[in-house]
Amino acid sequence: MILTILTMPLTLLSLQQGIAQRLAGRVSPDVAALVEQLGTEGSARGLPVEPLIQKAIEGSAKRIPDDRVATAIRLVATQLDTAATALREGGLDSDTLAIAAGAFAITAGLSGNDITALARVGATPQALTVGLRVAGTLAALGVPQADNIALVSATLRSGKPAADLLVLPAQVQSEMANGKTPAAAAAGLSRAAAAQARRGPPPGRGHGNPPPHPPTPPHP
Amino acid sequence: MSDREFHPLVKQLLDGDLTIADLPAELRAEGEEALSLLAAVDRTPVSVPAVTWRVMAALASRRRRMRTGLLTAALAIAAALAIWLLPARPVAAPSVVTVRFVLVAPDAHEVSLAGTFNQWDAHATQLVRTGTTGVWTATLTLPVGQHQYAFVVDGQRWVSDPGAPAVDDGFGRRNSVLTL
Amino acid sequence: MRPGAEPKDGEIVRSVLAGERERYALLVERYRDRYARYAARMLGSADAAEDAVQDAFVRAFDQLAQCKEPDNFVGWFFLILRNRCFAERRRSRSVAPLEAADSVAAADRTDGGAESAERRRALQLALLELTPDQREVFVLKHMDGLSYEQIATQLSTSVASLKMRMHRAYDRLREQLRDHK
Repeated sequence: MILTILTMPLTLLSLQQGIAQRLAGRVSPDVAALVEQLGTEGSARGLPVEPLIQKAIEGSAKRIPDDRVATAIRLVATQLDTAATALREGGLDSDTLAIAAGAFAITAGLSGNDITALARVGATPQALTVGLRVAGTLAALGVPQADNIALVSATLRSGKPAADLLVLPAQVQSEMANGKTPAAAAAGLSRAAAAQARRGPPPGRGHGNPPPHPPTPPHP
Repeated sequence: MSDREFHPLVKQLLDGDLTIADLPAELRAEGEEALSLLAAVDRTPVSVPAVTWRVMAALASRRRRMRTGLLTAALAIAAALAIWLLPARPVAAPSVVTVRFVLVAPDAHEVSLAGTFNQWDAHATQLVRTGTTGVWTATLTLPVGQHQYAFVVDGQRWVSDPGAPAVDDGFGRRNSVLTL
Repeated sequence: MRPGAEPKDGEIVRSVLAGERERYALLVERYRDRYARYAARMLGSADAAEDAVQDAFVRAFDQLAQCKEPDNFVGWFFLILRNRCFAERRRSRSVAPLEAADSVAAADRTDGGAESAERRRALQLALLELTPDQREVFVLKHMDGLSYEQIATQLSTSVASLKMRMHRAYDRLREQLRDHK
């Protein structure tokens, strides 16, 4: 089990003030109250607040009625919870950026199991965060779940820098423009990444080592 | 006189200058038809409670320099293809990336960009129309990370970027995704 | 409500111009729903109406110093809203016209429920086929209940020219409703 270093969270009052300031004049009072409530509760459990704030601002900007904005915010909160649980099962605790990335992957159609699978590769939290964002983006492009996780896992395992993960969606799009299906495009890239992986292990968490950096504290 | 037009007396009935009893017998049926048309007018009250705080919020965030012109609320439909270009990144791990957004919308009068990087403010980032072919562009420097965005055409039609991956926005529409 | 307790429009306008911006909200509260109804009939959609009313109130605030008769804020505001509605091209037919959601049961309705809702929808669609001028005079007279004289004053035109527009509107509506039966 990986030990986590808990950093002192912001006091309750300053967190709420921070949320209120971000939302002032941008959302209705009712929506602001909901975000403050869910954000404070979530933050106490190590969840990020920013995705809730963003969804509230987005809903108001798009002139969505309050009740539907509230529904969307609650959905984001649920997705954050699911992502956090999945990451914990994969060995990563309380990394708010990774949790937010995981929640995005869920929005794009991936499951908690997919997130756990990626976490179990053992890459650094930074690399995993990028991997989750990329996996979500690939899902949004239509890459089927199995091909998606295979490609991202293989790339993570190969130990290449984050930049190589980040080009995957553009590479898939480029292959798709040449007539390949998303699945075929991803499979082709997987084979290349797997070949790379056979040539060396990634610098990662390993087993029983403490994480190379403390988790980022939640902040509004 | 065409039988598609109401008789002048029936028009006076509609105007409220006559009652149905004032009409000659042969016009009564037409008069009834006319009155039933009026009865179909929807007088239901319309309630827009959100307008108050939205107006006051808009005024509060207003800068001194006014936006020129009203939003021209022409409802052109944004056409076809958008091309999203990601230029080559520097060798060192960057913290920001310059991205060019492009939308082809020949019928639009105004195109802006709203997303997580500008608080979804539909007025914050205007695209500029280049040439006469209806190509709108904007270049932004964005922090590394994940962003969601959409184009806003003529101030009210939200359009996702046809050239980019998209996810459900939770409101029945799609947001485009930019992963840097 | 105590008589005289509510500030008059002119008072509010003058105090806003003197720097009390927050009081503008009183005017917005007072008139937003009434004008949303006009905008909804003119534009055929509740969403478009909400946008139009919001934009008009913001624009009115920006130009408030040019309101020559603060006591007639509402007439001046109406023209700003009107310009905003006329500037908007009619939405395509695929946008559903207003449903009478929480419908006020009118005493003079003889049919109930679904049939009269259908006829209201048919008339709203037919209204959108008129020119904006024709639609407007019809809406102001038959929805807002203004007289020709009142409308003429508001729009700075003559009763005669309004009647001409209205009578053409009647004929076109009849044609539309017959064609789509």
